[in-house]
Amino acid sequence: MEALLIAVAKVVVIFAGMVTIAGLMSLAERKVSAWMQYRHGPNRVGPFGILQPLADGLKFIFKEELVPEGANRLMFRLAPALAAMPAMLTMAVIPVGGTVVIAGREIPLSMTDIDIGVLFLLSMSGLSVYGVILGGWASNSKYSLLGGLRASAQMISYELTLILTILAVVLLSGSLDLRAIVAAQQHVGQWNIWYQPLAFVLFTITMFAETNRHPFDFAECEPELVGGFHTEYSSMRFALYFLGEYCAMTVLSCLAATLFLGGPSVPFWPAAPWYVGVLSLLAKAGFFLYLFLWVRWTLPRLRFDQLMRLGWKVFLPLALLNLLATGAVVAFTHGAQ
Amino acid sequence: MGIVQRKDLSLAERLYLPEVVRGLSITFRKMFEKPMTRQYPEEPLPKTEVTRGQPRLVVKDDGNVACVSCGMCEAACPAYAITIDGGETERPIEREPVRFEIDMLRCILCGFCEEACPKDAIFMSDELELADSSRGALVYDLEMLKRPKAALQKRIDYVYRLNQRWRKSSSTS
Amino acid sequence: MTKITVNGREIEADPKQPLIRACHDAGIDVPMYCYHPGLTPVGSCRICQVEVSQQNQPPRVVAACKTSVAEGMTVQTDAPKAREVRRECLEFLLKNHPLDCPICDKAGECDLQDYSFNEGQGCGRSVEPRRKLHKRRSLGDVIVLDEERCILCSRCVRFCGEVTKKPQLTVSGLGAHSVISTFGDRPLTGNYQGNLADICPVGALTLKKFRFQARVWNLAKTRSTCAECSRGCAITVEVLRGRQVKRFRPRYDPQVNQWWMCDTGRFALGPVQQPLAAAGAVHGGRLAGACVRGPGGLARATVDAALGAAREILGNKPAPLVLGSPFLTVEEGRALQALAAALPVAAGFVAPPPSGLADDLLNTGDPCPNRRGLTELGLRPVEPAAARKALATARAALLVGERVTTLLGADELAGLPAAVRLVVFDTQAHALPGLDVCFGVPTHVEKSGHWVNVGGLRRPLEVALAAPRGVAPLETSLARLAQLLSTAGARS
Repeated sequence: MEALLIAVAKVVVIFAGMVTIAGLMSLAERKVSAWMQYRHGPNRVGPFGILQPLADGLKFIFKEELVPEGANRLMFRLAPALAAMPAMLTMAVIPVGGTVVIAGREIPLSMTDIDIGVLFLLSMSGLSVYGVILGGWASNSKYSLLGGLRASAQMISYELTLILTILAVVLLSGSLDLRAIVAAQQHVGQWNIWYQPLAFVLFTITMFAETNRHPFDFAECEPELVGGFHTEYSSMRFALYFLGEYCAMTVLSCLAATLFLGGPSVPFWPAAPWYVGVLSLLAKAGFFLYLFLWVRWTLPRLRFDQLMRLGWKVFLPLALLNLLATGAVVAFTHGAQ
Repeated sequence: MGIVQRKDLSLAERLYLPEVVRGLSITFRKMFEKPMTRQYPEEPLPKTEVTRGQPRLVVKDDGNVACVSCGMCEAACPAYAITIDGGETERPIEREPVRFEIDMLRCILCGFCEEACPKDAIFMSDELELADSSRGALVYDLEMLKRPKAALQKRIDYVYRLNQRWRKSSSTS
Repeated sequence: MTKITVNGREIEADPKQPLIRACHDAGIDVPMYCYHPGLTPVGSCRICQVEVSQQNQPPRVVAACKTSVAEGMTVQTDAPKAREVRRECLEFLLKNHPLDCPICDKAGECDLQDYSFNEGQGCGRSVEPRRKLHKRRSLGDVIVLDEERCILCSRCVRFCGEVTKKPQLTVSGLGAHSVISTFGDRPLTGNYQGNLADICPVGALTLKKFRFQARVWNLAKTRSTCAECSRGCAITVEVLRGRQVKRFRPRYDPQVNQWWMCDTGRFALGPVQQPLAAAGAVHGGRLAGACVRGPGGLARATVDAALGAAREILGNKPAPLVLGSPFLTVEEGRALQALAAALPVAAGFVAPPPSGLADDLLNTGDPCPNRRGLTELGLRPVEPAAARKALATARAALLVGERVTTLLGADELAGLPAAVRLVVFDTQAHALPGLDVCFGVPTHVEKSGHWVNVGGLRRPLEVALAAPRGVAPLETSLARLAQLLSTAGARS
């Protein structure tokens, strides 16, 4: 019973946290873009526009929901949920801190603690493409369909690189359990970023492609496809796609922090209390989240053929080489032991 | 005009990553610069003498409107925004407008009325805001158009200066 | 006829006419202020000077209004010398003329403006102050004189002496103090004062009733015919912004009125400026549409319903009295006759007695503009008194046309027994006990057609102003009513 209560509490906290961060990200996106373009950004709703996401949410709720003629109604309604859910589920395995002792109970600060966390994570991120392609297909619109097709091609291509880079990290840590990977990076000197610089760079770039973010946002490429897979969506279902996108960004940022920057570990303060650890993870993830926005408002979009060439001809070979080298090094060092 | 030579890209440029970093650094620096946006209703537009806002009628210092309802602005108005009916007064200048209407929805702020006026009675003020909940309310009548001369002085001086310059340049030709 | 050459063109000219008339008749513009084709030339303004050369003589600059045409004359209106002289002449005329154009009612149709633009120079050189004179000297009930604007052309003085044959105006004072004034400062009298404002080449003489009413370039002008007597003077109807008739002006017609018209006709604006009755109301203005007497008195009705009611009243026996208005055009008179033939009765028209305004110039004193046309059609003129007598004993009557009720005497008609049922086509519905059906009709400026004047000439009427919505042309309404009556007759 108690375990169940704790689990529910964790779910509520994590879910609320994710939605809040997604909302703040939508504001941050507009604010950061404004600052980079000498503008103010939204500043009318609440101080500094802090209540803008709330206003947007309310607006979305009151918008009319349209289902295009000839659309597959079931799939059309299901798709946004399919896009948002995997991103949120992935958060379950990411450790946001060590363990806390509350009322004599040791509570680990992650939703679950499965020892194949990485595998779960990869399968979930693989699922998220369904939301996009289903939404595109069910809309009965050529733009949506093309957007969905592109998204699936792109995600499959870049998923390979993503997996291979994570594999290199897993190889170093010797575990599929994310807690174990974090535990292996307690000190700054142990962070995987120093041992896997190439993998870090590849992972970071692939992250953008995985979340359909600029400069790889071909699924919703406005000049060519109107709005891509979500052209026909309106109201809260449209908002759900956005929620999914921001959640995926948050999860991948947390993952990048976990895999390469030691997760909740605090540099030069190994005995830091748990809340400092959580803050540390948030700060590291925050950097990646900011990077998402920063890149979006700096770089132009690639061409689709450039994207494919980059994925298959550059990133995949590099990731393979990196894995090979890591494997060799691990084999030799383990062999030496 | 020169011929643009397309240079071959250097290795660093072809790698793209250093260029990405360069671009990121530029946008990062720009984040801390002062925004150029004008927060319009709170921060009003700068109004210079050149500002050509809505036309207004000059009320002379003796309290009478300078307009004699000659109909020149009505005839000059390309948008047919002005309607004038004249009437007789006992003053030395025998004519005055009894009805002077400008349909602000039609007015295109071209300033032809100001140019056409032989009596310096209509000038483009610096008033630009125009909003109401009915079309009828935006047909301004005589009372709504009246402005004391002092309020329009800046524009009046400017127009006089402009005409002076025009006269000089035309006399030399 | 004499042959002369003007600007290289050979033209035929009447040797009894001055040179300027010959030029104008040939379509060659020569400026003029004091000259008027209807008045004796005096040559006081000197603006009409042109260069004339005759055999064996060097070219001379002469005033075209005081030079008679001679055989072999060669005229150059645009000779540099003539232009120069005219320019200097204008500069003197403008020396004391105030820059009043924005205020002046003449602006837009002012000869001084036009010729200053064509012939004058861009600016004056005089630095002396202008004459200060009376700006508002009233000359009777019709005319106001602005002495500053006057250029002393003396057209008005000659008009009084030559056209009305009652000299009332003169140039008094000497030199720079010359002004136009009446003898002994008595106000002007007579029925032709309005023409003074027309012939004044500048804005010195203006009409009190038109002063500051409208800018002349805003007036849409339509040719028409004066309605106030049987002379049928050619006029121009001038309408402001398509809404209101602002003035009637005489139009040159050599056969009827020359350049003139009487004040009675000029100021007869009341009937055409009548405002509409309020929406839904029957009385108190022009009737746009129709009205029928119901249980609660007269009420607005559709034209179809009113035509039905009119048929009920007119179709019964004994046949009704049919009377037209003297303002009916020939075309409307014909439609009325067709209607009367369907009843069948003989139609007449109301012919009021002479107005007493008759004079030996234009006004005939007969207030029926189309008396001759209607009589020729076969309608019989009926004096109002006789008509009222006939009405008192009739069962029903059809009264058709603008002002027919007022010409019959609205007050006297109000005394008729209510048993006399009236169907009236008039511009407005009067409160008469027997009035059962009334239709609105267009006024004479709102319809096209023609009248025949006292001399038997066709006088045209054109639509100067759109009739109010709901008012159909009278011919149409009468034809519809006639058709209804004839089908009713066929059924019974």
